Amino acid sequence: MAISKEAYKVLESIVGSEYISADPTICEGYRSGPGGYESGLGYERVMTRIPGCVIMPRTTEETQKIVKACNRYKIPYVPYSTGFYGPRSHPHVSDALLIDLKRMDDFEIDDKHLYAVVGSGVIYSQLQEEAMKRGLYIVIGGGGSQVSAIANMLGDGWSPLSYRVGLPHRRILGTELILPDGELVRLGSLALQDDYSWSEGPGPDLRGLLRGFTGHRGFLGIVTKMAIKLLPFQPERLVPSGISPHTSLQLPVNRVRWINFTMPSKDAMRQAMVEMANTEIGAGITKVPIFWRVIARAKSKEEFWELWSKETEETIKNFHVLRVLLIGFTSEEQLEYEERVLMDIIAPLGGEARRTRPTDESWFKNADSAGMWLMCGGYVSVDYVIETLEHSIPHGENYAKLKRNYTPPLMPDYGDPGWFQSFELGHQGYSEFLVYWDPDENTDGVDQFYLETSKENIRKRFYTSLLGSHQPLYLTGPAYGPNYHKWLLKIKDEFDPQFICHPPVPLNHDVFVERAKWLHPQKDWKSPELPKLS
Amino acid sequence: MPKSKVSLDVTKIENFIFDMSMCIKCKGCTWVDHIYMPGMKYSTRCPSATKYLFDSYGAYGKMRIGVALVEGRLDYSDELLKILYACTLCGACDVGCKRNLDLEIELTLEALRIKAVKDGKGPMPEHKKIAQKIAKQHNFFGSPHANRKKWLTKEIKPSPKADVLYFVGCSASYTHPEIARATAKILNASGTPFMLLPDEWCCGNTLYSVGMIDEAQKLAKRNIEAVKKTGAKTLLTSCAEGYRMWKVDYPKILNMSTDDLGFKVVHLTEYVDELVKKGTLKLAKRIDLRLTYHDPCSLSRLSEPWVPWKGERGLWGVVSPPLERRRGTNGIYQPPRDVLQSIPGVKLVEMPRMRENAFCCGAGRGTKEAFPDFASWAAEQRLVEAKEVSAEAIVSACPWCKDNFTKVASNNGGNLKVLDFSELVLSSIGSTGKRR
Repeated sequence: MAISKEAYKVLESIVGSEYISADPTICEGYRSGPGGYESGLGYERVMTRIPGCVIMPRTTEETQKIVKACNRYKIPYVPYSTGFYGPRSHPHVSDALLIDLKRMDDFEIDDKHLYAVVGSGVIYSQLQEEAMKRGLYIVIGGGGSQVSAIANMLGDGWSPLSYRVGLPHRRILGTELILPDGELVRLGSLALQDDYSWSEGPGPDLRGLLRGFTGHRGFLGIVTKMAIKLLPFQPERLVPSGISPHTSLQLPVNRVRWINFTMPSKDAMRQAMVEMANTEIGAGITKVPIFWRVIARAKSKEEFWELWSKETEETIKNFHVLRVLLIGFTSEEQLEYEERVLMDIIAPLGGEARRTRPTDESWFKNADSAGMWLMCGGYVSVDYVIETLEHSIPHGENYAKLKRNYTPPLMPDYGDPGWFQSFELGHQGYSEFLVYWDPDENTDGVDQFYLETSKENIRKRFYTSLLGSHQPLYLTGPAYGPNYHKWLLKIKDEFDPQFICHPPVPLNHDVFVERAKWLHPQKDWKSPELPKLS
Repeated sequence: MPKSKVSLDVTKIENFIFDMSMCIKCKGCTWVDHIYMPGMKYSTRCPSATKYLFDSYGAYGKMRIGVALVEGRLDYSDELLKILYACTLCGACDVGCKRNLDLEIELTLEALRIKAVKDGKGPMPEHKKIAQKIAKQHNFFGSPHANRKKWLTKEIKPSPKADVLYFVGCSASYTHPEIARATAKILNASGTPFMLLPDEWCCGNTLYSVGMIDEAQKLAKRNIEAVKKTGAKTLLTSCAEGYRMWKVDYPKILNMSTDDLGFKVVHLTEYVDELVKKGTLKLAKRIDLRLTYHDPCSLSRLSEPWVPWKGERGLWGVVSPPLERRRGTNGIYQPPRDVLQSIPGVKLVEMPRMRENAFCCGAGRGTKEAFPDFASWAAEQRLVEAKEVSAEAIVSACPWCKDNFTKVASNNGGNLKVLDFSELVLSSIGSTGKRR
């Protein structure tokens, strides 16, 4: 235990002996890998460490005291809610204190003003069920139902349902944040009084700082409470049915309906998305990635590969399935009206409605992102870009082309051009590119592809949402800033002068490239002297 | 990736390195299936992770610790043994993982315990005492072997020879004779001739569960042989743990299929369900009771039959020949519910966590003996849940569940009744259990 006895005693006095441990077995249980997001990749192997100590606070006050003690004793610390987000949510330096926030599960719901106040340990499916009991709903991000709602709201947090309700940034209301030095800051209306209901408050809005575009993975403090905006749903309950693994929500078809359409082309899908947005119909929309379809059909990993091996470049190229969610929020008539409008949009584009089961397995309450690992055991989204619909299609196609150079070790996908969809009633287009590999193979090529996507974005002038914590800051900062990297580091210095809150983020990827020799041939940008880490 | 040989043999931890290495920390093992997520309360199904909180006590932690142990990066310690044994092996993690990933979590946990015993570190001291009692008196409690059939009353008349053999088990034989009596009377009432083993011994559930594979194998062989000698076609149990041992773990540790046992293994709940549906057994007597049913883990998600498998694992982790995974889907969930609902006056209400999402009572598989506080805590969680749905009684189908629930319920002074399935069925037939 590298944390001094004195520091340990101080920490223990804050939470009690039951909720702190430096036992090597306990700490081993918090290892990032070998499985998980980015499993087996260089980043996980080179950058992660098991914690030197784990502590589980119950309240904001306890967490604040822990952070202050870390500052006093210069203990690097990492906030950790569920640990699902792979290596980037685990310690990167030896002997760090991992602050496991699962006991912070306070929950309040205000169904009159449509928000819930959640602690860091509350996960999405818990929140969704409480909302739905009251005729409300939230969007469960693609990260999955099992992730901390706060962490996901601060990081990614979108799904096909973001088409109607917008991106998560807009649904963060009053928030309680412990800065890296232990100062407690209340954001939004919470800054004025005990009122979580509103997002804006006096002074600068730190939400942008907290989240950036896709989050900074806990290097600017710890959010201990957040009010999340809830939205009115329709009145009928979605009834769970089936026995694991075949469980689903039965949809009240008079109010909620998924419809799949076979479309003649990607462009027809894009046009349908635009027209739906123009007519303001629909509650959710997405292009169906063919992987999902095969995963859903397969009863096992072996069956997946059997089915997948029947695909060809041609079938993938011609696979254009559009999945649309209609909800009669206000009435059954609303759903009927929207369905008629939708059919009027789809027909001239040459689309055909397919039979679609009256169930939901993946988006309302389950969001089973875990299924992404079934095929190969290794998975990561190398990029997710929110720009325009026009932008999102070539972005994916471009990546598909690039990916051929790295297949294998990447899974053969017959040129699949990724996943795109419409957000915020068509005002934004989304492109996500998921890659898969066998973690037991040599994965250097996956690391190289990951890095190359960033360079490709810069070359082709694609926007990227994975900046600081996911790509080298000194590669992306000058390209997108031009001084984004300098600002980010200045902010970090200001709030975390001792550089102890999840070091070395946001320079983590720069350090990684420095350490990963197999990436050196790709390094054609200048880096400053990087921090020396244990 | 070169192909590697792999099997489901739990005596070799090497078979499960893939499963331990592929855990992604989605914690599907701990949370209730999200489709069924009941909200902020009752949201977890893993007693160990819920009680001890550190990730190391969830299956995700245990998988990582297992890899470290195998790779020699971690040594045995009191904490490590507690992590391995303060776990009910209830299978909740296994069905949760197989919702998405199909990793063999339950087998891995069993294999880790077997490894701990082989390494001379396991089981816990309390388990060793039980093993001595079983060796000496052939029962879990160390009671005189001669008393095994003391539960028999004058009115119960087993046949010397019958197609159905009732394997009573240690708990119903010694500490919960009311379950053995009720079962026998139900069989009598249905006109089912049944026999008992001339010399019944412990099924070895605890031995196997704590990793004492050699002792468990000896008992398995001895017991199977004893049943075969009787010529029974069906072995019936009223104990869920015993049911799992006979149906799943005996074949598992003897490298055979359930189908090859030479007789069929059924639980009382299945048997009664069939009798009621055929009309052979009438549950006519009214019982005005609002009750909830607790799924015993070993009857529900852990009860699918065993088929040995060995083969190869290659690229992407794909195995050949195809492996039919046991995901808990075909456990015994509906039969007990159908029977209970067919009793006039009974109002069956479900707890938020039910079927494959049920929260273990905490008693089974060596947990209560080594970690009694944990076992009581788990039972308390379940009893609170039963009260939440305003149940007047909690009904299970295993004497170990009943025992744990009863002790905790009586300590807490609550008025929730704890009943076994057999007792309720017998009451609905009529207390004497005479054939109608």
